[in-house]
Amino acid sequence: MRIPMHRFKYTKLTKDQIGAKLKPVEGVGPTSASAFTSVLNGKTLKIVTVDGPVLEYKFAANKRLTLREAGKQATAGYGELTLNQIVFFSHLIPGEQKGYNIYIDQKTNLATVFEVWLSSGLKQNAGRPTEFTLDDREVQRQIYFGHVDNGQTAAAKLHHYTNRMTGKGIRWKQDNGIETLELYPSVANTNFVELTRHIDDLGYVAPSDYVLVDDRTIVYNRTECEFSGIHTCFVADLYGPRQVGVRFGFNEKDELEYYMFRGDGKVVGQLAYLEDFDEHGLRPMFAAAPPAAAGVPAVAPTTPPPAPKGARTTYRPVRTFAHMTDAEMQAAADVRTAAFAAPGGAAGPQGATAAGAPPPPLATGNNLPFSDILVGKEFTLRFDNGGPVRDYRIKEMYKLQFRDQKDNVWHDVDYRAYEGDDNLAWFSHIIPDSKPRACVMVAVDFTNGLSTSIESHMGTEYYGNETTYRPVFGVAEMPGLEAPIYVRHELTDELVGNAFSWSYSDQVTSMHLYTSPHSMSWVIFTGAQQLGAEWCSPCIFVKLRPGVYIFCQNEEACNGNQMTELLNTKASHDCGFTFNGGARGVNLGVTGAIGRHIGKFDLLEFYGPKRRA
Amino acid sequence: MKILKLNSRRSFIWTMGAGASAVLASTAGMAGGETATAADPALQVALLQEEKALRKLHQAFEQALNRGLDEEVIGMFADDAEVLFNGGVFKQRNQGVTRLYRDRFRAGTTGRWMAPAPGFELAADQQRDSVEVAADRKSAQAVFPYSIQVGMPLESDSSLLAMARLHGEGVQTWWEGGVYKIAYRKDAAGNWRIGRLEYDTLTRADYRPGKRHARPISVARMARRFPEDPQGPDDLV
Repeated sequence: MRIPMHRFKYTKLTKDQIGAKLKPVEGVGPTSASAFTSVLNGKTLKIVTVDGPVLEYKFAANKRLTLREAGKQATAGYGELTLNQIVFFSHLIPGEQKGYNIYIDQKTNLATVFEVWLSSGLKQNAGRPTEFTLDDREVQRQIYFGHVDNGQTAAAKLHHYTNRMTGKGIRWKQDNGIETLELYPSVANTNFVELTRHIDDLGYVAPSDYVLVDDRTIVYNRTECEFSGIHTCFVADLYGPRQVGVRFGFNEKDELEYYMFRGDGKVVGQLAYLEDFDEHGLRPMFAAAPPAAAGVPAVAPTTPPPAPKGARTTYRPVRTFAHMTDAEMQAAADVRTAAFAAPGGAAGPQGATAAGAPPPPLATGNNLPFSDILVGKEFTLRFDNGGPVRDYRIKEMYKLQFRDQKDNVWHDVDYRAYEGDDNLAWFSHIIPDSKPRACVMVAVDFTNGLSTSIESHMGTEYYGNETTYRPVFGVAEMPGLEAPIYVRHELTDELVGNAFSWSYSDQVTSMHLYTSPHSMSWVIFTGAQQLGAEWCSPCIFVKLRPGVYIFCQNEEACNGNQMTELLNTKASHDCGFTFNGGARGVNLGVTGAIGRHIGKFDLLEFYGPKRRA
Repeated sequence: MKILKLNSRRSFIWTMGAGASAVLASTAGMAGGETATAADPALQVALLQEEKALRKLHQAFEQALNRGLDEEVIGMFADDAEVLFNGGVFKQRNQGVTRLYRDRFRAGTTGRWMAPAPGFELAADQQRDSVEVAADRKSAQAVFPYSIQVGMPLESDSSLLAMARLHGEGVQTWWEGGVYKIAYRKDAAGNWRIGRLEYDTLTRADYRPGKRHARPISVARMARRFPEDPQGPDDLV
């Protein structure tokens, strides 16, 4: 797949189309590259679940089963694979666009039951202006915990949700040759990088559930919501690591994928997870109760209402991202283009709130102070390969003069600068009258004579109100500074696999996980410091000095916002700029955060050009 | 209308219970040189029972707030009640008061009890706790201390906040200490209702449980009325 998933236009398959595609497999069940097992052959099972269905199965030869559920009987094909004491089977129910993936622990007789279905008709944001119906192709799931009723007393402790997978990362290689890098930084999501299905090494995010069977055995699933809607579900033995599971849903070609697999894993690292030690993730995030009264004894006033069937913590940003054309965006930019108009704008340093005022909620509370590092300097930035050549004259802290030697016109503009490392300036300003509206974010190394500029402008081929950025590398020329001829800042993969929490203020923290040389994700902490909602974007990394980098991302197909930070790992601090546009015009702002290193995955061996079959 | 003052320190009441309260009430009545009506033992007992009922009502009010039972809270107000909160007046039980407790407080996780921020505990003389029941037993005024969490949804188009809202967060919270100033009156059925409630905030701090320090903060008073602010007050004071 070449087109990135967040840009791919997945077909809005209808219920009828889905039904027609399911019909041929309902009677035969899933395929598998590995030989099916036959533990269940000839057996009858009654699975009783808590607050869920009672499923009475009769397994016949030739991968056929009969299911009696709520007085209805169905016959279908099924597949079965075992992993240690777990027997896993999967089947559809003819004509219902639903099926079951069931994991039975043969030692304990406990069961985890996934009901999966398509064409859900589920509405999100019901009753609000932003209401929409989920795509029929998006596989829904509901998890039930129960046991096999063999006439004996059921075990008191069922399988349950868990946070024990949080922070782990595993490269899985399936028996069909598919390789996927899966990182589990959140209790509610997965980062996954398709190492064989996709051409690019981009990480994506999908909502997930994690179920603890025993200390070495986890049941897991993810659904690629907002992408193809396909569902992957497996049980993993972490001692191996090994897996058996199923993939069910429609791919980008609208082909039905319904196959079971075995896979072998390789642990690629472990991030810290920061919730309290007595927090075991028993309650899934989608069912989270409202925050308890602070300090009030934890007596549940009433049983929290059950989460709606199929509920999950899914971020669906593009649903509310209004599309603007390039012309609409330019018109808005002409009305209003603001630089540093947020708190601490033209009048003074950011982050300095009025005495006694609550800390600012976003962006600037923990930023670095602005620097006068540029004041009194005149220099030329000459970028390679025919890139821009700009002269700068800077006499004061918040205003500078520059000219592009191409048009030889001096401009007076607002700017903000940081000293991101010793004698290393990091500043930004708007390019006046630019069409599309543009800005630059520039690192100038006054020790080494090097410069990198992130050249940004409004508009991508998808949205007028998304930004496009590119790095250009070159030198800084000024009296007393010798610019190198060959040495340059350069794109880097040194940060890949690292995770940092970034606290922009005391109220807003997210964790960045640098998933590949070209992508990252951000994960939101709950009040209990559990990592929850997550999303992802492409990005780039530039190395300025050892431990000092530029990180630049655009929240593509999300809100189009660009964030570009100078990241100093020695100080665990970043500082930088935001650039975005919309109906209210274009804004160049500042941002910065205090960081904590949360851990690192070893991922680099999986990236780069590959030999492909 | 004669008012019998049943003043007491909350801590004292907690320690000594209703019996002590009765003694205090009786003492207050006699020491104040009230009329024979006020000294009437039967009336004293009746007033003490009313006081007890009002204390229970306030206890129920706080518990309902703690448990997020907005409808129970709203149900304690008179039809034409009003609430003063941070410079805004919310009028009418089914309109402004409902808007305050069901919408504004829920969105901001406001109103729930919270231990005082360290170093910001109210002084003893600020922890007023009194119930004054009118001699006709149809109205009363009370002051009770509070120590609550107050919050405000963070307003931003930021994806971080949009995602935080998925898990019920994205709210900036702080601690407030002060006193409730409450006017009660009986409805036609003889049940006590809150006619007017004022949050008289004495101190605020940037604090949440578990933090070892806090700093004072100021909070902007409400500046927009309903419907310009969908959760706003009917009037500004």
